[in-house]
Amino acid sequence: MLKSHEKYYSEFGKRQVLVVDDEVINREMLGFMLASDYVVLYAEDGEDALQKIRENSHTLSLVLLDLMMPKLDGFQLMEILRTDPELEHIPYIVLTSERSAEVASLRSGASDFIAKPFEQPEVILARIQRTIELAEDKDIIQNTERDPLTSLFNREFFYRYVEQYDMHHPAKKMDAVALNINHFHLLNELYGWDYGDHVLSAIGNKVRELMAENGGIAGRMDADSFLLYYPSGADYDSIRDMLGRGLLEGKATNSNKVKVRIGIYPNVDRDVKIERRFDRAKQAADTIRSSYTKFVAYYDNSLREKELMEESLIESLDTAVAERQFRIFYQPKYDITGEKPVLCSAEALVRWNHPEFGMVSPGVFIPLFEDKGLIQKVDRFVWEEAAAQICAWREKFGITLPVSVNVSRIDVYAPDFVSNFKNLMTKYQLKPQDYYLEITESAYTEDSEQLLAVVGQLREEGFSVEMDDFGSGYSSLNMISTLPIDALKLDMNFIRNMHRKESKNNRIIELMIDIARYLEVPVVAEGVETQDQVDLLRSMGCHVVQGYYFSKPVSAEEFEGFIKELLE
Amino acid sequence: MMTIEKLKAFGANTEEGLGRCMNNEAFYFRLIGMAAKDPNFEKLEIAVVMEELDDAFEAAHALKGVLGNLALTPLFTPANEMCELLRSRTETDYGPLMEQLMQAKAQLEALLAE
Repeated sequence: MLKSHEKYYSEFGKRQVLVVDDEVINREMLGFMLASDYVVLYAEDGEDALQKIRENSHTLSLVLLDLMMPKLDGFQLMEILRTDPELEHIPYIVLTSERSAEVASLRSGASDFIAKPFEQPEVILARIQRTIELAEDKDIIQNTERDPLTSLFNREFFYRYVEQYDMHHPAKKMDAVALNINHFHLLNELYGWDYGDHVLSAIGNKVRELMAENGGIAGRMDADSFLLYYPSGADYDSIRDMLGRGLLEGKATNSNKVKVRIGIYPNVDRDVKIERRFDRAKQAADTIRSSYTKFVAYYDNSLREKELMEESLIESLDTAVAERQFRIFYQPKYDITGEKPVLCSAEALVRWNHPEFGMVSPGVFIPLFEDKGLIQKVDRFVWEEAAAQICAWREKFGITLPVSVNVSRIDVYAPDFVSNFKNLMTKYQLKPQDYYLEITESAYTEDSEQLLAVVGQLREEGFSVEMDDFGSGYSSLNMISTLPIDALKLDMNFIRNMHRKESKNNRIIELMIDIARYLEVPVVAEGVETQDQVDLLRSMGCHVVQGYYFSKPVSAEEFEGFIKELLE
Repeated sequence: MMTIEKLKAFGANTEEGLGRCMNNEAFYFRLIGMAAKDPNFEKLEIAVVMEELDDAFEAAHALKGVLGNLALTPLFTPANEMCELLRSRTETDYGPLMEQLMQAKAQLEALLAE
């Protein structure tokens, strides 16, 4: 017997079997046959049987079931066993002296039948063993293939079954569908993980009903992400209504907060790779991620163009690095603690002058490369350029102007992450103090352990680490108090919303500056556009500002003007 | 005392019956003792007299199963015949079959009493 089947044994080291027959002699005779191999339970009628099945539903390996019984007969009991989700995993064999009942029993879900008068014990034992092992194999396979919470296929098997579906239905028109819950994390936060799981499992059930009715394949990928391979022509608005209905029953006062959104790549092109089909559905769903009015979106030409452009950007990345299509722009940072703002450093920002598309916005290619795990190539290019630039300015002007560079969350996983910076310092004869690293706040909350370890190492080496976009993430005060950082950089949105008059936003900025004071680190404000903002920030105790008020990001050549100004 | 030889002489297919009892004679004889006291004999007798064919079928069906498992052929044969007739609720004189069944039962009881 397979070792993997051992978990099906009861505490006595044997499997548990229930014998149901109203005739005591038949019960005893079967029990006597089974006793050396199984733990045998007995029931003398259908009701008694149902109660014992429910009591032992997690340990019972098989039910041997007589058909003609008082109270609840065998067919009624089979109906319950077949349809109750708590019991449907338990196999049953029918005991019958009626040839005519054999087929009916199999149709009612019986795994096998044992004729009366009974065959010899070894035959019966062999049939019982085979039925139990088949059921256990099925259970093992299900556990491998399926997500335990929803019983839908897991990622790997979902794609495999879609492939098989295609082979068996070569001409059928199918849609690739991606289904998510808007603001699912809120649900978990508001009502707890158990409730989040409850909602996912409820959606899982509804999805399975859909599949049972109309065919198709369904899987759950991760968290709130479901994929469906569904026959074309469905009314997705009503499917969405059906899936979302009753999700927050008795919970939400504001049920607008949780909605199902659906992205569809309709009538899939079978030449497109399977995973790509669902990427398209996900892309469509992403377009309505933060919409409060639109919940169903289709993959269309504009998305197709976007996809083509993204593919093209990804393909040209290596060439772009090699041909230096990426250009570094520098935005000056000014110290405003004195009476007159003084240039104190610069932030290195990347621009892509693409031979085909012209200037590509970093807002387009940075998230794309981050998503595809390629951002390191860009980041490393920028890091080196910035180091070389500090060195070049030092040679030309005799002063060292520190430059800050951006670090993506994924960068810190590179084994040579810290040594790469050290090498740059050696190569360009810089001190780590001249080189600032900006790491966005959200990176700290996503995977703080690894990040904190690496940041700790960098600081030991003498590098300054600034927390970028502070206030945009979800840092807990507790976490902030233990953070190894050298500066807080306020999220641009706070600065944009600053007012001359007292406002909540202003008070939040003051609060963040207070936090920095408590941590004994300077505060940098970016996105500063007006004199008023500079004055207000100064009065609040902000140390450094950058933004269009002083200058937009400019080329290295243009930037030299600011250095000259400083030297004058 | 009951023996396999006596049962065989009575007409039982002891090889089959004993086989179903994992060749444990004591267990086989104990089940036969229980079968002789099965209330379905009485239920069948009354139902036949009262011509309540549904009840009669239930009782005959139950007896058929038990007697078949114990391979008590002299009892099984009339019980089985009655069961098949009663399945279609055939209106016939069940007296002779009933008598055959009860006579065989009496013989079995005599064996058990020896």
